Amino acid sequence: MRTDDPANYNLKVRLFAILRDVVGEGEITIAVPSGVTVSYLETEILKKYPQLKSFSNKFVTSVNCKVTSGDTIITSRDEIALLPPVSGG
Amino acid sequence: MSELEDNSAGAVSIFMGNVRNHGKHGNVLEIYYEAYREMAEVKMREIENEAQTKWNIKKLVTIHRIGSLKVGETSIIIGVCSEHRNEAFEACKYIINNVKTRVPIWKKEISVESQKWSDGILLG
Repeated sequence: MRTDDPANYNLKVRLFAILRDVVGEGEITIAVPSGVTVSYLETEILKKYPQLKSFSNKFVTSVNCKVTSGDTIITSRDEIALLPPVSGG
Repeated sequence: MSELEDNSAGAVSIFMGNVRNHGKHGNVLEIYYEAYREMAEVKMREIENEAQTKWNIKKLVTIHRIGSLKVGETSIIIGVCSEHRNEAFEACKYIINNVKTRVPIWKKEISVESQKWSDGILLG
């Protein structure tokens, strides 16, 4: 995928808790074409960070602080995060 | 406590969640709490608003600490001030139950032998 294509852009994705520990970074960058869905992004993340594959059914993706479904369209202005099961309190 | 004072209220219910000395993985020395702060604040306000809709609450305070907390330290305080005791009890219970299942906060149990993220609940 060409990241210099104007139709592509780098999307920042925040990671928390065990996901951050497994990847070793609290924020990753994924190159995506414009108009992609959350499902597409998740697939690209797992390709780039295969160590997350064992967690693929153990996180949800939030867009602008809301948990979203896989068919949600992402824009370059959105704040994306991968959230493992919560355990506060 | 001044945040929970209201002369028209006859009840103040306070819930405190403390760090226990044991967990699923054995003895615990401390717990490290991490939050997605921006979203956690949104979700906690959402839960507080729901409680205020459900019950006649005069004043309400919810505070969740993050970072490393030792055994015995308080991780969360919820205070509800209302006219009668039942609504204060019920609102307190509603808030802690929903904070535990809907707010993006995670805890890592730290013992002499290991550091393990707690099993949790997948956000829906």
